[in-house]
Amino acid sequence: MITLPLEQRLEILADSAKYDVSCSSSGSSRAGKAGALGNTTSSGICHTWTADGRCISLLKILLTNACIFDCAYCLNRRSNDITRAAMTPDEVVDLTMNFYRRNYIEGLFLSTGVIRTADYTMEQLIAVAQRLREVERFNGYIHLKLVPGADPLLIAQAGRYADRVSINIELPSRQSLALLAPDKPRESVINPMRQVSDLLAEAREARTQSRRAPRFAPAGQSTQLIVGATPESDRDIITLTEGLYHKLELKRVYYSAYIPGSVDSRLPALPTPPLLREHRLYQADWLLRFYGFAASELLDAAHPNLDMRFDPKSDWALRHLELFPVEVNRVDYEVLLRVPGIGVRSAQRIVQARRGTRLGEAELKKLGVVLKRAKYFLTAGGRYLGGIRLDGPRLMERMLAPARRPAHLDQLELFATMPDASALTGEL
Amino acid sequence: MTVYRFDGSFEGFLCAVDYCLDIGDTQPEFIRDGDVQAVGLFAGEVREVATLRECALTLRKRFVEAASQEAFATARYAFHSHKTGIELLLWRYLTLGLQVGRRLCLMLAEEPVHSVNRIARQVSHEAHKYKGFVRFREVEAGFLYAQIEPEADILPFIAPHFVGRVGDRPWMIHDLRRNQAALYDLTSWRLIRDVELSAEPALSATEHDYAALWQRYFQRHAIAERHNPKLQQQHVPLRYRKHLTEFIIP
Repeated sequence: MITLPLEQRLEILADSAKYDVSCSSSGSSRAGKAGALGNTTSSGICHTWTADGRCISLLKILLTNACIFDCAYCLNRRSNDITRAAMTPDEVVDLTMNFYRRNYIEGLFLSTGVIRTADYTMEQLIAVAQRLREVERFNGYIHLKLVPGADPLLIAQAGRYADRVSINIELPSRQSLALLAPDKPRESVINPMRQVSDLLAEAREARTQSRRAPRFAPAGQSTQLIVGATPESDRDIITLTEGLYHKLELKRVYYSAYIPGSVDSRLPALPTPPLLREHRLYQADWLLRFYGFAASELLDAAHPNLDMRFDPKSDWALRHLELFPVEVNRVDYEVLLRVPGIGVRSAQRIVQARRGTRLGEAELKKLGVVLKRAKYFLTAGGRYLGGIRLDGPRLMERMLAPARRPAHLDQLELFATMPDASALTGEL
Repeated sequence: MTVYRFDGSFEGFLCAVDYCLDIGDTQPEFIRDGDVQAVGLFAGEVREVATLRECALTLRKRFVEAASQEAFATARYAFHSHKTGIELLLWRYLTLGLQVGRRLCLMLAEEPVHSVNRIARQVSHEAHKYKGFVRFREVEAGFLYAQIEPEADILPFIAPHFVGRVGDRPWMIHDLRRNQAALYDLTSWRLIRDVELSAEPALSATEHDYAALWQRYFQRHAIAERHNPKLQQQHVPLRYRKHLTEFIIP
């Protein structure tokens, strides 16, 4: 597997790693050390964007794409006939250092197929991180994948070298997991997540006692869910997500539109990946984390799936017209956040600016507040900005009417904004 | 009307502002040293203002105490946009700040605060982008060299970031548009003006290999089923691509 030339192996292993959508290099803030390479910034930095519009922040690569598991949705499953390759720890270390020094990347995202046993595989990943930190004194960002079923001691060790650790749930329900990933019982994923969550709390506690206490994954943990490969509703997914954020304090849950990669009869044959659904799930995810929404407000038994025509906040607002319009000069910040079209940044600016002056339509525009959707839900100085009377069906028609961008362009935009407020708007 | 000529630096500009405040000139004009065209036909007397660090620091302290640290940072970002007329806009901003104090940052929807904020935001965005977009090439003896062509003068904002990041090698980030460069010599960085390249730098033996590996990695990392060049171009506008290794076809 290591007989192929390096550039070919790099291509194969990049190919195998790219379906893991986690891209962020955020959440960790570490100053550079004199004479050493690397620092981290809490907002993260994107270094480039590939032809699919996704950012590259970390060198995302597998140590090997050989795997003893046979998960139906995965390109690297045992039964798939693809070229297998591996990198030596030295090669990964050398690439990371040299790419980083040229400012191609923010750090390393290292994952792998499972070889021999879970523990053995985890040890291989840790060895690379340890080498980078202790031998090369690499101070940049490291994201390590946790291997399902790995020993708790190894997980504790991984977090000492990594900024962020992650383990992918992939499928939202136990049944789907049993059907498509028979080697990966739900416990083998959830238990390590619980453990990481406890270790994070412990490390945080220890650091309040002493600033010299060892760090444990300062950028926390994340996970990924595949969307569209199994029959779960958006409500199932968003409820699971909410639990992960509240109970396990995850930093991020990523959603990956399922891209058909095999002709397995257990998997649906989708003509195209469900990108719009993925986008709507991200929007709902943002509402949970930064806008004070609960999953039960967005989706319930009567509406188990997100409306593909509207963003989830507009959808919610259209179902709660009795709460609108609200007066932009008066209502609380929390209420402003619930107005369709008003984001964290706009709401902050409104709250700040209205202390100095009375806001009308012209002032709102000057603040950069986009009124396209918001106007139907606001009054400014008592004047309704929407022009038409609020009644459900007509408003819905009006909101759908303007020339909409075709669905396939509606992909999530990350990191398109100013660095200092990014922790608040959630570009994490 | 008097025109005040300063050396083109932010410190120099603060000194000029300080001087005007001192002598009570309420209708000043400013020009940068070497900026010949800026002196209009009917311009009055031109007065040179020397750059004194202490003088700039005093005004800074006064402004920060009156308005806020953030307002000062905003002014600094906006100044480095080098847009025409930015000096007068900032003169109005700074004097307003000294007058109204903390209320300045609440006047988001009013001039000149709105314009200054908008320009500062553009500069700060560009500086953040360039933290990702600088591409170093290794030249002889491990020295790292990068070329950039930013809209705004962002070197003072990104250089400290790279000092913390690449602390184990000497490096230079060369702003081709302004013929100036940030140079780091393993202890500190400084800005050098009038830098011109006499010849393309000789690259180290392995430079080409790593660049080629990076290009391959970049090509392969895109998912074909999600192909979306429009979104890509939104994030990496074409003007940036000239100096980005991964967009240069070998």
